[in-house]
Amino acid sequence: MKAFVAALLFAAIVAVGVSILLNTIQQPSSVAFTTEGVRVGDPGHNLIGPG
Amino acid sequence: MASFGRFIRLAVGACAFLLVIAASAPCNAQQVNPTASSVKEQQLLQELNRIQGRVSIPDQRSGVLEQPAGRDWREFHNVTLRWIGGIAILGIIAVMVIFYLTRGMVRLESGRSGRTIVRFTAFERFVHWMTATCFIVLAISGLNITFGRPLLLPLIGFEAFSEWSQWAKYAHIYLSFPFTIGVVLIFLMWIAGNIPNKVDVDWLKRGGGIVGHDHPPAYRFNAGQKAIYWIVVLGGGAVAVTGYALMFPFYLSGIEGMQLAQVVHSIVAVLFIAAMLAHIYIGTVGMEGAFEAMGTGEVDLNWAREHHSLWVEEEQAKGQAPSGGTPKAMPAE
Repeated sequence: MKAFVAALLFAAIVAVGVSILLNTIQQPSSVAFTTEGVRVGDPGHNLIGPG
Repeated sequence: MASFGRFIRLAVGACAFLLVIAASAPCNAQQVNPTASSVKEQQLLQELNRIQGRVSIPDQRSGVLEQPAGRDWREFHNVTLRWIGGIAILGIIAVMVIFYLTRGMVRLESGRSGRTIVRFTAFERFVHWMTATCFIVLAISGLNITFGRPLLLPLIGFEAFSEWSQWAKYAHIYLSFPFTIGVVLIFLMWIAGNIPNKVDVDWLKRGGGIVGHDHPPAYRFNAGQKAIYWIVVLGGGAVAVTGYALMFPFYLSGIEGMQLAQVVHSIVAVLFIAAMLAHIYIGTVGMEGAFEAMGTGEVDLNWAREHHSLWVEEEQAKGQAPSGGTPKAMPAE
């Protein structure tokens, strides 16, 4: 039982840790693809994503 | 003299008039179509397998106007994959139900001895359960991606399905990391016991004892378990590699590579699910005394003798198992 609980805990910790890491490293596409010449606008609030 | 002059003027005027007429008439003998040898759309499509050009948008992939292979991929994604997945998963469930109703649970024929032998250490069980629980969530969330819209959405409606799918997607992406760690650890931990050998050939020839009451000898892992091991390592490796290619789009390839990654990821995944359903069956309902191996880590000595006799001999030689003992059941007192 201990091994099982430890397994669930470890999986959850890794998953949360990776989500924090990736959200720090990656940019939303509206930010990543914007240049001086092209502004890719705010995708709005009816799409899945940050904000 | 004046009439002659009038005649000359008339003649010259008529000639000039005729010249103008002749010069302005279209030249029928050599008509040139200026676009005759220019490239047509069909020709371009056949030669390049796509129609693309130059764009000023930062995302250069927007320069692809037509990619006909994408239509074949869409047919696979929407139709073929759902057939393959449905047949594989429903098929294996049907086979297991029929097998259980006809063969029943594989019983411990000599009864419990009351003495146990350690089969899996705490670390081995930890790795197995981490990989297994991640697999369950990945399987359900992955099946939602393929079957959710046609099967689940009509039942629970758009709002609920959208909320559920959002969480399922995050779970799928983030739990892939502990799952991959688990697959790597499983590969390293158990590679030594899962190399196929002659004992496995004999075990398979005797059907593994699954039909009838045979008990072919086996070491720590029998041929069926070795098959599961390699399915997990190779299948898990395949879904991990293609999964990360899909998770980080266009980091490794163009659109054809992404389509190929999705094809491999989805087919391996549904077959993987079918195989794991069989693994779960045999480890729980299918065989008496099997679950304890991963549950507590210790199995009954008689169980080990019946199903992994060569492994028990090895453990007894190492002094890690109780030696001797009667294979008969002890009467209850």
